[in-house]
Amino acid sequence: MKVLVTLTSDHLSLEIARSLSASHEVRLTDKNEVPTDLEFVRSDLGHGAPTNELVRGMNAVVHSGGIDPAASVSDQLDYQMRCTYNLLWSAAEEGVQRFVYLSSLQLMDGYDPDLAVTERWKPLPTTDVPVLCYHLGEMICREFARENKISVVILRLGDIASEQAAKTAISTSTLYMDDAAVAVEKALGADHSGWLDIYHVQSAVPNARYLTGQPWWSADDVSPSFDLGYEPRARS
Amino acid sequence: MKVLILGANGELGPHVVTALEHRHQLRLTDINDLETHHEYFKADAANLEQVVAAAEGMDVIINLSVLRKDRKLAFDVNARGCYNMMTAAVEHGIRRVVNTGPFYVVAGPTYERFDHMIGPDVPHQPGTYLYALTKSLGQEICRVFTESHDIHVVDLLFYMLLDPETHNVESGSPIANVGRDLVPYTISWRDAAEAVRRALDVEMDKLPSRSEVFFVFPDLPHQKFSSEKARRLLGWEPKDQLDKFWKKAKL
Repeated sequence: MKVLVTLTSDHLSLEIARSLSASHEVRLTDKNEVPTDLEFVRSDLGHGAPTNELVRGMNAVVHSGGIDPAASVSDQLDYQMRCTYNLLWSAAEEGVQRFVYLSSLQLMDGYDPDLAVTERWKPLPTTDVPVLCYHLGEMICREFARENKISVVILRLGDIASEQAAKTAISTSTLYMDDAAVAVEKALGADHSGWLDIYHVQSAVPNARYLTGQPWWSADDVSPSFDLGYEPRARS
Repeated sequence: MKVLILGANGELGPHVVTALEHRHQLRLTDINDLETHHEYFKADAANLEQVVAAAEGMDVIINLSVLRKDRKLAFDVNARGCYNMMTAAVEHGIRRVVNTGPFYVVAGPTYERFDHMIGPDVPHQPGTYLYALTKSLGQEICRVFTESHDIHVVDLLFYMLLDPETHNVESGSPIANVGRDLVPYTISWRDAAEAVRRALDVEMDKLPSRSEVFFVFPDLPHQKFSSEKARRLLGWEPKDQLDKFWKKAKL
């Protein structure tokens, strides 16, 4: 499968791209040059032919809802709204089969940790710009899926952590990098409802805050089923 | 009240100024130059610093700014402009904001093509059309701000605006033809401006939430959109009924 991964100046995206490259033909993109052995195409994800060329021939796009922390608030919002919109349009026009949007479980942090929060619960975004950006990015994805322009999978990822961090403090919604990579790999090939599929993804940590792998239940099975098939790796 | 109007030099701006100027102290802003006897700031709604500066000392912000076609500008003004406006409201302790937009902020083609009696409190389905989606993102940004700040946002949605006295096109208009129907989201300029005035008068604490959306249309016979909420909560009543457009001429 040919996969485009965006925002590869971000550690998460770069690690996911590296992991995917073991079994896929991966192209990386970012607005800034990123040193890598993998194919890299610099792009502003603007409105126009270069973005179409960027996605042409790709089977899937993995688009990060993350932001450049060094950018201004205006640029962060602009990237997550306008660039996500441009990328979705180009991907739809070029016949890309699947769009995987990397969102965040921070959208659900407004709920009491004791509640069994699943993908069926309403997101509770805040005005914290990174969280707001995830929410707005999801909105844009949702409308493209609603119009059946492209198949969209949203992965709401936990707090990204390395194995080294596990030796110190981790949150109850930690997601280790290897689990994140597995979830993205699964999202590329998972059965898709044809509508909008959203999954919560975190690792197996003590007092794990979010449930994962909850089966979709549709009243009388009137809506198509979907399943990510993600299971966090058991850790001792 | 001291009222800041963003995008005051657009098509709706002068009508809103007329509706408000004898009751409120106005500060007008626009990206374009504007000749007015009111206080005027040249400001770009997409510029955070300019919007925050323009809002200093104000009691209310009214957002009439709009960009429809250019993709960059549409996101800048329609979506980020709302972030800037709400940030300015937080910065200056402004508790009342009036935002405006088209009906398809809420009811894009997946509602409009299929349904009738569409109310403004249904889940938003703007679709992917640039103007609809960017305005819907802006409205959502406003709503999220009201969740964590003591700011009330009244969102007024209309679309096709006309002057029924002068709009007498009898054929060829995609909007309204005398005796040959009109699009079911039409309103007169003065009725739209009156809704803005009502949004300034309404007691905010009597609204159901800090973020309320209203369809603002007169009594159109199509029953496509319901403006019952605007009448009930804002006390808005249209003066121009536009019936000459849907009543056939007697032969």
